Amino acid sequence: MIPAPFELVTANSAVEAVAALAEHGDEAKLLAGGHSLIPLMRFRLAAPTVLVDIGGVKDLSYVNDGGDHLAIGALCTHAQVSSASAIVADAPLLAHVAGQIGDPQVRHKGTLGGSIAHGDPASDLPAALLALGATVVVDGPNGSREIPVRELFTGFLETAIGADELVSEVRVPKTGSAPWSFQKFNRRAQDWAIVGVAAVNNGSLGVSLINMGPKPLVAAGVEAAVAGGASAADAASAATEGTDPPSDLNGDAEYRNHLARVLTERALSEAGVA
Amino acid sequence: MGAYLMLITPGVPLLGSFLYTGVYDVPNFGFSCDGWFTNLTPTDAYRGAGRPEASYAIERAMDLLANAVGVGPDEIRRRNYLAGGGEFQDLETASTLVFDSGNYAPNLDAALALSNYDELKAEQARRREAGDDRQLGIGLCTYVEICGLAPSRALAGLNYGAGGWEHALVRMLPTGKVEVVTGSSPHGQGHETSWSMIVADKLGVDPADVTVLHSDTAVSPLGLDTYGSRSLAVGGVALSMACDKVVDKARLIAAHQLEANPDDLEFAAGAFTVKGSPDKTVPIAALGFEAFTAHNLPDGMEPNLQEQVTFDPPNFAFPFGSHVAVVEVETSTGHVELLNYFAVDDCGNQVNPLIVEGQVHGGIVQGVAQALWESAEYDEDGNCKNPSMLDYLVPSAAEMPSMELGFTTTPSTSNPLGVKGVGEAGTIGSAAAVINAVCDALSPYGITDMEMPATPHRVWSAIQQAQNGASA
Repeated sequence: MIPAPFELVTANSAVEAVAALAEHGDEAKLLAGGHSLIPLMRFRLAAPTVLVDIGGVKDLSYVNDGGDHLAIGALCTHAQVSSASAIVADAPLLAHVAGQIGDPQVRHKGTLGGSIAHGDPASDLPAALLALGATVVVDGPNGSREIPVRELFTGFLETAIGADELVSEVRVPKTGSAPWSFQKFNRRAQDWAIVGVAAVNNGSLGVSLINMGPKPLVAAGVEAAVAGGASAADAASAATEGTDPPSDLNGDAEYRNHLARVLTERALSEAGVA
Repeated sequence: MGAYLMLITPGVPLLGSFLYTGVYDVPNFGFSCDGWFTNLTPTDAYRGAGRPEASYAIERAMDLLANAVGVGPDEIRRRNYLAGGGEFQDLETASTLVFDSGNYAPNLDAALALSNYDELKAEQARRREAGDDRQLGIGLCTYVEICGLAPSRALAGLNYGAGGWEHALVRMLPTGKVEVVTGSSPHGQGHETSWSMIVADKLGVDPADVTVLHSDTAVSPLGLDTYGSRSLAVGGVALSMACDKVVDKARLIAAHQLEANPDDLEFAAGAFTVKGSPDKTVPIAALGFEAFTAHNLPDGMEPNLQEQVTFDPPNFAFPFGSHVAVVEVETSTGHVELLNYFAVDDCGNQVNPLIVEGQVHGGIVQGVAQALWESAEYDEDGNCKNPSMLDYLVPSAAEMPSMELGFTTTPSTSNPLGVKGVGEAGTIGSAAAVINAVCDALSPYGITDMEMPATPHRVWSAIQQAQNGASA
């Protein structure tokens, strides 16, 4: 439970953070809320030699109106995301999902950018952003670039974000009053989802799955089925296409596949798919 | 038992052994239990220690029996209660134990009324008829437990290695305040509050004027501890008896100073008064100073007003109660939600009802946790698979409904306060009530048993198995 030794570098701005990453290379990790990284370090599943603390960066915690989208600073905590009036009004799925993470202590420390960069397939926020079709802005030594969230997650705890890049902003399309649904199945309120489904029906349908494979997943088969006119029940049967769910104390892969179908059907119905 | 013995590892099943006939009139009874050493973490006493297992066994069996003979779970219990469900005292049971007191049928009636049992049944019938995904389950448990450990001779029979007495000392200080030394060692059970109330009631002083000293062998060398729901029924009783001795001695001082016969003194509201002469009176708080200065005591009386009692109870206490768990089982996923929980407990006379409720609340949650969430899981090599609070699922307030409590009062005959014990009652009643409710919800599938904890995966698998078996 004791992390390996590391050097702590404090960054006061996004620019300083990117510079620190450039200086220390891929031995460095960014520390924001620490709710994913610190447990990994305590179990020595991660042992970065340099931590770049961006917890004190002031200019990455905002919610701006970008016209057709909301621009959300990466250091917004889950509590901020769940309660920001602009997000509640224009991206209600995201606000709702952020309010379901862990417990109040977790929600006041964990950050939106941290959750994305960690890329945990069992986390809620990546699924919400996949369903919403969000875009992530990352800052690197050569400036900023945009990555669609649907191209972001590449493998187990692996993303398209470079070791020298920092998630600075998340751009979330406004969905207004479009119907949406979030189905989180767990045994206790504070736990990760055993399986979860996020759906938003904003002209086209976005559906994503939590904890159904090595990375956050889009339920592409379901989206295609609905686009082709399938009913909620029929489309839900495609929920397990391309999934590779884990087996653990909470259930085996077969059970997770079953849950994915049940929860997807509920999500589709709630999101207005007949 | 695990890899080695802890404090009372083999004693846990023995403590429960006397209770496998529960609250029922069973003429013959035998008990055998094999203990096995394994390569797993050792087991030891946990809230309820042996009694939850016993109540689980008999209360699950009663539901199976009810189904087998086609009567309701309330009716099967009512028909089989000791003493016909009526009030009794000092009743010898098949296990040779003498139950101090009981009055089971009215207690069950109170729980059924509290839960609106008939309405629950009607709602259950509606959902069954409609084929609702969320089926309702209603589970009963009418438990009896053994606590107030214990008569020291009885502990000898269990190779216990310690006595079952408890010690108390009461000092009336020269200041008029009262200092109490108790051998019970509270770590959150509220003895400071309850013991002060006992002393205040006995001596007629303000509870705020009572200081309770405990948990330091330099201060309270005599005592055996807080466990086995024994503190009030043994330690609290010792304290009340020591208070009686203080009053007895104070009466002699008061009689001496008021120039009256001790038998002519009334003691009420903290003062001795000569019968028929209301102006001839002295408060007991003042007698602490008189005993301290010793200027004017009866001939031969030792100075100071301080008495102690070691109480070794003649019998255990046998609290009982009726719990009703209401669960919703989502048949498409196996998820079990505890919708409501009703408990009517009878722990004899109560000293502090708020503390009693707190004990019942906590106990219920711990028992429900066993039924729905908590378990130590091991792999084939004996490695614990869930050794952290991340995977060992202790429930929080978010998982629990607001419990509705009621009480009946049947005083114990095992001690002069008529008190029993309530620290473990919740765990002893709740695991069986919840699993009975889960099985009740699943009975249309022909499911009659459910291993604890009733995880969603386990419940869903049982439904699948039942359906596949039915279609095969």
